[in-house]
Amino acid sequence: MDLAGAQGADSGRCSGFVETLHELFADAVRCGATPDVLQRVLDAAMRSVNGTRAFLALVHRETAEMSVAYTAGEGWTEERRRLRLHLAQETNRGITGHVALTSKPYMTGDTASDPYYLAFFEDARSEIAVPVLGMTGHAAGVINVESDAPNAFTSDDCARLVAIAQAASVALGLDGFRARETALIEIGTSLNTTIETDALMRKVVDEAAEALKYEGCSVFLLDQETNRLVLRASHKALAEEVGVASYALGEGITGWVAEHGTPVRLEDPQKDPRWAGLHTEMPADEIGALLAVPIISRDRVIGVLRVVRSRSHSPWFSNRFTEADERVLTTIASQLGSALENAATFKRLVRAERMAAWGELSAKSAHMIGNRTFALKGDLNELRFLLESGGSADRSGELALIDSMERGIARLEEILREFRDFVMATQITLADADINQTLREVIGEFFPRRSSVQLELDLADDLPPVRCDAAKLKRAFSELVENAVSFQPEGGVLRVSTRLMAPEEQVGARLAPGRSYVEIEFADAGPGVSEELKNRIFLPFFTSRTKGMGLGLSIVKGIVDAHHGLLREVGEPGKGARFVIILPVRG
Amino acid sequence: MARVLVVDDEDEVREALVRRLSREGYEVTAADSAAAAREAIAAAGGFDVVVTDMSMERADSGLDVLRDAMAHDVFTEVIVLTAYGNVQNAVESMRRGAFDYLEKNVPGVDVFELLVIKVGQAMERRRAGVSTLRRLDLRTRPS
Repeated sequence: MDLAGAQGADSGRCSGFVETLHELFADAVRCGATPDVLQRVLDAAMRSVNGTRAFLALVHRETAEMSVAYTAGEGWTEERRRLRLHLAQETNRGITGHVALTSKPYMTGDTASDPYYLAFFEDARSEIAVPVLGMTGHAAGVINVESDAPNAFTSDDCARLVAIAQAASVALGLDGFRARETALIEIGTSLNTTIETDALMRKVVDEAAEALKYEGCSVFLLDQETNRLVLRASHKALAEEVGVASYALGEGITGWVAEHGTPVRLEDPQKDPRWAGLHTEMPADEIGALLAVPIISRDRVIGVLRVVRSRSHSPWFSNRFTEADERVLTTIASQLGSALENAATFKRLVRAERMAAWGELSAKSAHMIGNRTFALKGDLNELRFLLESGGSADRSGELALIDSMERGIARLEEILREFRDFVMATQITLADADINQTLREVIGEFFPRRSSVQLELDLADDLPPVRCDAAKLKRAFSELVENAVSFQPEGGVLRVSTRLMAPEEQVGARLAPGRSYVEIEFADAGPGVSEELKNRIFLPFFTSRTKGMGLGLSIVKGIVDAHHGLLREVGEPGKGARFVIILPVRG
Repeated sequence: MARVLVVDDEDEVREALVRRLSREGYEVTAADSAAAAREAIAAAGGFDVVVTDMSMERADSGLDVLRDAMAHDVFTEVIVLTAYGNVQNAVESMRRGAFDYLEKNVPGVDVFELLVIKVGQAMERRRAGVSTLRRLDLRTRPS
């Protein structure tokens, strides 16, 4: 090699190199591994060593393949860009494959005699390749520069390329961290906003597997009654076993984690004496790495969060889980633990509120049933007297008594219905439903055909399906419709409207951001609700009507509470009542 | 004619009571609350017998009716009705001078007939009380 010539060339290559490097790092940190940043890295790599052609190939760990992702210089065709290298093969991996597997730079000035060289282009005489290292220290990609001149590259060139490749490393690494961060935030957010526990666990396994590159993820929760770990959410083949697959405490690695409350991180888990291979996301012998952490709530193990990766296709790559993976999974498990605890607390709270009403409910219903029965016995007493004394001339007396008894029995049935609805209000079964359709059905069934109350419907077209118990909501809506009609005996208006809430309104209403809500309003022109009564109308036994037990609005409240919704009366006293229900779209 | 006041906030109950006692020939007045009872007592200048529900505006509204009725005429006999075995309030009403108390729901018993009997007994006691007072009055009056 002509030293002077090389030096001369070097001084030319050096001009602006530091500035270029500085810009590349700045871009990498600012933007991450965007196509634009990686292309600029590659262009700069080629220029900095005076190459004729260059490419950046990325490693796909799952398939142990490399593919050309970015190219620079002349002569690239679509066919050449589609080239893939199979790293698992012993031969034909090329210099690029060799660098990917060893994670060390490689340089040749005579391709014809190089043992690794694999010709992409006929005219390449020199080649230099440097790894782009990923977070784990393995090569995530390789930057490869060629020249048509023999012995074109120096060790200085190699050092330059290594420096430039680090810019790509930083970009890819930051992307990895951002993906992890996004996944953790996603999971954290969904844990805070999803109260239906099954949906929450499905979300955790999906997001964890997707963003954190697990190939299988399962949640097992301890069943209090059977003391077994039951599968509650999973992936792939195991998804169909949800609710069925279970481990005894101490059984298998999953059972061991639950029993000891300690994480387990294993490579080739089949070799572990605790391994049972009972319920696996993929064929048991294909699992290459396993990580299982306990889900803890209130200092007790309540379940196990488990992830697996398949066996690596290449002896050079390991698919084992790292300590960082364990930390991430432990974080997710602890978030899941507190979310499950939240959900349980919410359920207990709703139940406690209603339990408190039980004592009063039983006393009140006994009182009301007693009174109705007493009145019925009075009617029977009178009927017997009438019949024994020869009866009234046109039987009008007897018929009037029968009417009265029918009314009395109807009121008893009303009480029983209220009693049942109050008790059942919080027991809901969720399914997707069209709220507008539900409202139309309620209006059809409960709004009187001939009424002096004028009905106005203003139902939004863009309402998404809402995860709810449509039958229970129908009960709640019908109560509000009947209320509006009965409080406007001289005629008036009932305006029923629906709409999807705008995100900025949710902040004001203290609703969780990131979830959508629908608002359903029942407005009338009746007497309205006075300020002092606004807080009391939803309590059990509050009534200003003689009908029933006064459970109506508390039933509505119970149903809305069970949907994790809000119920308020916001009308101006004297100008009519306005009942507003806000329901989360996804339950 | 003997005058009876019936006090109950449940329309059907009140109507059934009025109807049954009217059949016995009493002159029956009805009130649907303790407050309405107080007005009726003042307006009528007292009743011979008052039949009142215990639990109306409040759980012990019957005690208010008892107090108002006896304040107007100490010989008014008060019968307290309870729909839901609230024995404590019923005992309290006896302690304060009620004639008797009656549970609305006694299985197998026609409480309306029982009430008619009790109203009759109350009427007798009132008559006895009033005549005792008159005799006492005559004897002690200076001639």
